[in-house]
Amino acid sequence: MPYLKVLTGKILQLVLVLWAVVTILFLLFRLMPGNPMAAYIEPAFTLEQQEQLMAQFGLDRPLWEQYFIYLGNLLQGELGQSFRYREAVSERILDLLPNTLVLTFTSLIIAYAFGVLAGAYLAWRHGKTVEAIGIPAVLVTRAMPEFWLGMVMLAVFSFWLGWFPAGGTRSPGMEFGSQFELYTSGEFFRHLALPALTLAIYSQGLPLLLMRSNMLEVMKEDFVTMAKIKGLSGWTVVIRHAARNALLPVMTSFAIAVGYQLQGNVVVESVFSWPGLGRELVSAVSAADYPLAQGAFLLIAVVVILMNLIADLLYAFLDPRIRHA
Amino acid sequence: MTEALLSVRDLRVSYKLSHGSLDAVDGASFEVPQGSIVGLVGESGCGKSTAARALTRVIADNAAITGGQIVFDGRDIARIPERNMNALRWREIAFVPQSAMNSLDPVYTVESQLNEVLRKRGGMGRSDARKRCEELFELVGIETSRLKDYPHHFSGGMRQRVAIAIALALKPKLVIADEPVTALDVIVQRQILDQLRDLQQQLGLSVILVTHDISVVAYICDRTVVMYAGRVSEEGPVKAVLRQPAHPYSMGLKNAFPDLQSSASGVLTPIEGAPPSLAEPPPGCRFAPRCPFAAELCRQTAPLSEEVSPGHAAACHRASEAGVLRSQAALPQTWMVPA
Amino acid sequence: MRNATAEKSHVTIAAKAIGAFRHVFQRLRLPLRDPFAVAGLCIYLLFALTAICANVIAPYPATEILFNPDFTLAADLRPGENGFLLGTTSLGRDIFSQIVYGTRSALLIGLTAAVIVALIGSIVGVVAGYFGGWVDTLLMRLADIAFGIPFLPFVIVLAAFLEPSIWNVVFAMALVLWRDTARVIRSQVLTLRTRGYVDAARVCGSSDLKILLRHIAPNIMPLAFLYGSIAIGWAILTEASISFLGFGDPESISWGYMLQDAFANQALGKQAYYWFLPPGICIILIVSAGFFITRGYEQILFPKLGR
Repeated sequence: MPYLKVLTGKILQLVLVLWAVVTILFLLFRLMPGNPMAAYIEPAFTLEQQEQLMAQFGLDRPLWEQYFIYLGNLLQGELGQSFRYREAVSERILDLLPNTLVLTFTSLIIAYAFGVLAGAYLAWRHGKTVEAIGIPAVLVTRAMPEFWLGMVMLAVFSFWLGWFPAGGTRSPGMEFGSQFELYTSGEFFRHLALPALTLAIYSQGLPLLLMRSNMLEVMKEDFVTMAKIKGLSGWTVVIRHAARNALLPVMTSFAIAVGYQLQGNVVVESVFSWPGLGRELVSAVSAADYPLAQGAFLLIAVVVILMNLIADLLYAFLDPRIRHA
Repeated sequence: MTEALLSVRDLRVSYKLSHGSLDAVDGASFEVPQGSIVGLVGESGCGKSTAARALTRVIADNAAITGGQIVFDGRDIARIPERNMNALRWREIAFVPQSAMNSLDPVYTVESQLNEVLRKRGGMGRSDARKRCEELFELVGIETSRLKDYPHHFSGGMRQRVAIAIALALKPKLVIADEPVTALDVIVQRQILDQLRDLQQQLGLSVILVTHDISVVAYICDRTVVMYAGRVSEEGPVKAVLRQPAHPYSMGLKNAFPDLQSSASGVLTPIEGAPPSLAEPPPGCRFAPRCPFAAELCRQTAPLSEEVSPGHAAACHRASEAGVLRSQAALPQTWMVPA
Repeated sequence: MRNATAEKSHVTIAAKAIGAFRHVFQRLRLPLRDPFAVAGLCIYLLFALTAICANVIAPYPATEILFNPDFTLAADLRPGENGFLLGTTSLGRDIFSQIVYGTRSALLIGLTAAVIVALIGSIVGVVAGYFGGWVDTLLMRLADIAFGIPFLPFVIVLAAFLEPSIWNVVFAMALVLWRDTARVIRSQVLTLRTRGYVDAARVCGSSDLKILLRHIAPNIMPLAFLYGSIAIGWAILTEASISFLGFGDPESISWGYMLQDAFANQALGKQAYYWFLPPGICIILIVSAGFFITRGYEQILFPKLGR
């Protein structure tokens, strides 16, 4: 089965890339100017803690030994202790991951829902003024710095109109029984609205343009013309036949979009004080909290690499040559 | 004599180009009597496909019907509002495309595509539609178990039968088949053509068969309409046009096609030259540059269609001399002199 | 006698230079028919001129703290007050001057990054596509790794160790962002290789270098130029993000830095639109200009997507 071969190949690729990124991170933090132990140990730690960390990460051993200890620790999920929070890095970043994921997926779903419909519409109205204005408008949305858009949204909808809160995931003082309770509360959605919308506005350009160009190709196909000759309604022709065929490649792009979106997350989380991985990375780096910075970066990279794999697999899966072999 | 089901008069279809326009069909007139199979034949670029598609009023974005009438069932449908035309589509006028592979949506089953027309255009309920699907498949000779298959599961010939089944779904009066067998191998061609003829007799359909292959016309058509450079050069019963052509172009075609049934030595004599560019057509008769019998009048004035015998007409100034010209045309030497 | 010969050689050199320039210009096939592309080129030109003549256009140095006639700090002034075209920051700096000087860092970083990314990407793509074999595999694995590195987080992590400087972004881009260009150029080279004239040149005994320079390079130039233009926008947006997050160079005033300044000084709450709108609009203009120009290219290079 050729698909199995493709799958194995892709997984090997994933392992390779993960290993490379992990190694790069290792070298970055150990070889950069300054005290190599600074990657894990801060003078503010007690002597006991320092010794424990030194043993755990082999900081007094030669570099190559440290490397293997590092890899071993990683596989066990051991990432050191945060300088500022005095808690395990792995715990902290896993706590933050859901917030980032919720923001990413919510905004992407909005972006894709809008992008696909708008792209199909623009393809239908090919050659008319709507298209001539629409496309440059979409390009402009891709030219905006996401954080600036966030600032404008805040200025208008939060500070001026007062419709939405200015940041965070909840108002100060509000308590929730569990993470799940928080996510399903109206309060959360009020806080999620602006950041998700900001990211969505920036991201919708890709699915929109992709859908439009696919639609234009599909609309030229004979079966679309046949649908018109059969006298089927505009809706049936455009949606049931053209859009259905044009949608496939757009869906595979969703996985890659997650990877790119995570970068936008970094700045938007900062503008809206959204407690996610991106914001944590920024504050960790600013405060020279190296273990936490490493951990946050690593988790983001893992998600990106995983999404790339999923995108590749989806693409291969939908390729008729492989599917119908 | 009953009124013809379809009467095309002086049809003009123009394409808008980046520089100027082009008349792919420039004053074509022909008739399709009730219950007959009419072969619309001509070489590539003569306008036959454009004319056929114009009858459905679904043509390219940069094309438009710029003149003439299309009288269907007593009504000129060339310029009626889109809504009214759409009511006719598939219910009265159906279409069988050239390549069924490209004309069937790859992501839906054939049953789903049949149901689409039966229910959305025919207003049938679910169970009625189901019965009709089975009926149609039986009609075209495909096992009903294959209704749930996707288009790419069928062979070329079977796909063409599926396309025919879909075309007949709503019991149309007129079926336009655009090169329905061109993409198939010879044996399958014969099967499909036989099928078409049987169906036509069984259901009393009127069929327009567009093709560039005269042998197809000879095989199943009752009447034929020969097109050249956007105009109709000859029209009449198949036997008359093929055995006693009245237009020099038809005479030349006779020599240019191998006849599987005749045992003659079979020297093929092509017609030298090529059809004129439709962007800048010559004045007068469009065949004149290639015609061995062209006179000065031919080059100046376009000929009108003249009846040479009942139901048989040719657009030639020298149509009355057809008998004499035919004997000359039978000689290969006639065609070797460049006009 | 000697003067005449010298003059003649000057003329021929000049003529050859103009000829070469025109040849390169034609190779680039600038998209001049699309109105948006033309608008894009004009915007680039406008910003370039502003950057060059910044000293003349800007009334004040970007970092100078200014005072009112009555010796109070000229802080948070609205547009038009005391002659400040776009008002002043909370620290008393002229916003308009900052905008004008901002063009310099934007263009500097944009163009440098674009050239480097296009150059590295093209070289990698050409070498991988042309030589194939293990070289190709190695380079494409490197590209895979580059794709696995999330770009903005990477720049932030680098900022932890490097001195704050606008060149950090360029450095990071050079390390990571050549990946898209490399892949696309590689597949272009692969298509070119299947065309007869490369094999024909080989049979004639042309060296690889000669083939690369004479046959391959000119054919990939438009594509490299296209990806370079996209890279300009990316660089400017990334620099803005980095400065906004506080990792930028506080000495050189960039538009991103202005936005960070505005945000940190509660410009949003103060409704100081004159402070945070202009820098954003400038970024949008220059990045859109890049997109419009590349769109014009798309029509030329990939006409099947056309109207």
